[in-house]
Amino acid sequence: MYFAGVDIGSTMTKVVLLDQAGNLVSFIKGPTGAEHRQLANDVMRQALEQASLQIDDISYIVATGYGRLNVPFADRQITELSCHARGVSNLFPNARTAIDIGGQDAKCMRINSGRLVNFVMNDKCAAGTGRFLEVTATTLGVKLEDMGDISLKSTKKIQISNLCTIFAQQEVVALLSRGEKLENILAGLHDALASRVAALARRLGIEPDLVLTGGVAKNIGMVEAMRQNLGCEIFVPEEPLLTGALGAAILAKETHMKAAGAGKALPATSRRLEKVTFFNQEYR
Amino acid sequence: MTWFMGIDIGSAYSKGVITRDLELVVSHTIKSGADYRKSAEIIRTELIKKANLTQNDIANAVATGSGADNVYFAGQKASDIVCTARGISNVFPQARTVIDVASQSTKVIRLNEKGIVTNFTASEKCAAGSGRFIEVIANVLRIDLSDFDRLAARSTSPITFNTGCAVFGESEAITRISEGVSKEDIAAGVNKALASKISSLVNKVRLEQPCAICGGGALNTSLVKAIEDKLKARLLMPSCPQIIAALGAAIIAATPPASQSTKQT
Repeated sequence: MYFAGVDIGSTMTKVVLLDQAGNLVSFIKGPTGAEHRQLANDVMRQALEQASLQIDDISYIVATGYGRLNVPFADRQITELSCHARGVSNLFPNARTAIDIGGQDAKCMRINSGRLVNFVMNDKCAAGTGRFLEVTATTLGVKLEDMGDISLKSTKKIQISNLCTIFAQQEVVALLSRGEKLENILAGLHDALASRVAALARRLGIEPDLVLTGGVAKNIGMVEAMRQNLGCEIFVPEEPLLTGALGAAILAKETHMKAAGAGKALPATSRRLEKVTFFNQEYR
Repeated sequence: MTWFMGIDIGSAYSKGVITRDLELVVSHTIKSGADYRKSAEIIRTELIKKANLTQNDIANAVATGSGADNVYFAGQKASDIVCTARGISNVFPQARTVIDVASQSTKVIRLNEKGIVTNFTASEKCAAGSGRFIEVIANVLRIDLSDFDRLAARSTSPITFNTGCAVFGESEAITRISEGVSKEDIAAGVNKALASKISSLVNKVRLEQPCAICGGGALNTSLVKAIEDKLKARLLMPSCPQIIAALGAAIIAATPPASQSTKQT
């Protein structure tokens, strides 16, 4: 018996497969294209191939993330907040606060006994999300994955005075042309984003342990900036992008076990994984 | 009869005027580029050439805008709020509210019957409330800024943006393009979104009519119309809205210091 969690985020789609004991069987990350449905299929197929499984071997599938409604083969949709909370507590049982910074939003969650108890999020302004770093990194000609390492060489604190991502874009160019060092500018950008996310988290109240997830957690400069802004230790999972999909897979397993225990009807195993498109009438 | 110069170095465009006493004689506008100092020099040279004068004919020059510090030949600096107020009062003495839609920010200024600033507010922190939003989307649509107005005017059903952020708006516009929505409807949607942000800015300082509009954003007549619809008010529109702050700067240059009732900020 196997269980799957599919997390369709704004930039990445993630799939996690678990076995009956809850062990990780395989996981896959792929970029989210314009066609969520087709992509969900492709990523799912890859995850199955990696584990040498067939779609029929999967007993229950939970979809999450902002594209969760576009997963035609999922048995249930659960919000990414619940899935993140579940995934984070699985990896860090002492976690009470989780902060997820993605390419489209930032979410701060309070967790108790593996469940989401409260949250605040920003999806209104790009300056408080990973998009802020994406846009400014592109402007500076720095690869997103290199930002963190470069910023650690910073020797001087630079304050980015513009709040808006678009104006900050202009500001970093001006800073460069003024002769400021790249590492100092990058550290300034990390601090700017970290201070905004920290302000969001403080609205919720922070209780340790604190776990940072999402693509931004892969940026060591950001983890350091968050630590400085929040003044507490920060735990980062080995695969910070996967907590949502992991939580979804765990919830898939729990839902299935509960239903099986209560003798309820289980979802049909004859799922289809062929290509579908937005315009396919059948899935409308 | 004396000649005065006003120079307004903005983040996107640099504008300059020469006045004879309080009358506009010539104006010149260029893109600011990366070197504001050079832009200021070009403006000065062009203005003098257009007016058929020499540098010595200019009695005084005042600089304004975010790059005012680069106008090394100016005798004085003045805030853009004060310059915009002076400029609009020169064109429309009856105006009690001015909306200045610039690239970096939108400002709404309240004036008393003497044309003195009594209150103002600005959208400085967010590109979605300034003309920059239009520049960003024009770039996505691969259209020239000067075509934006014409395209938006042809729209039959403007889109509604789900976001109030220019960065997310950019992504949204890309999605809409891929869905086959016309450039016209996207452009008009941007005007609608910006008009709604601007009208809430106006409401912060309360609209008192007559209300004038200026700044580069006012060249976009569909945007002006969208703001008029939102505010349910007619807006006074100068024939050259982009140079109003520069005009105001020249008027300040022409005003003897003792009678300058406006405070410098």
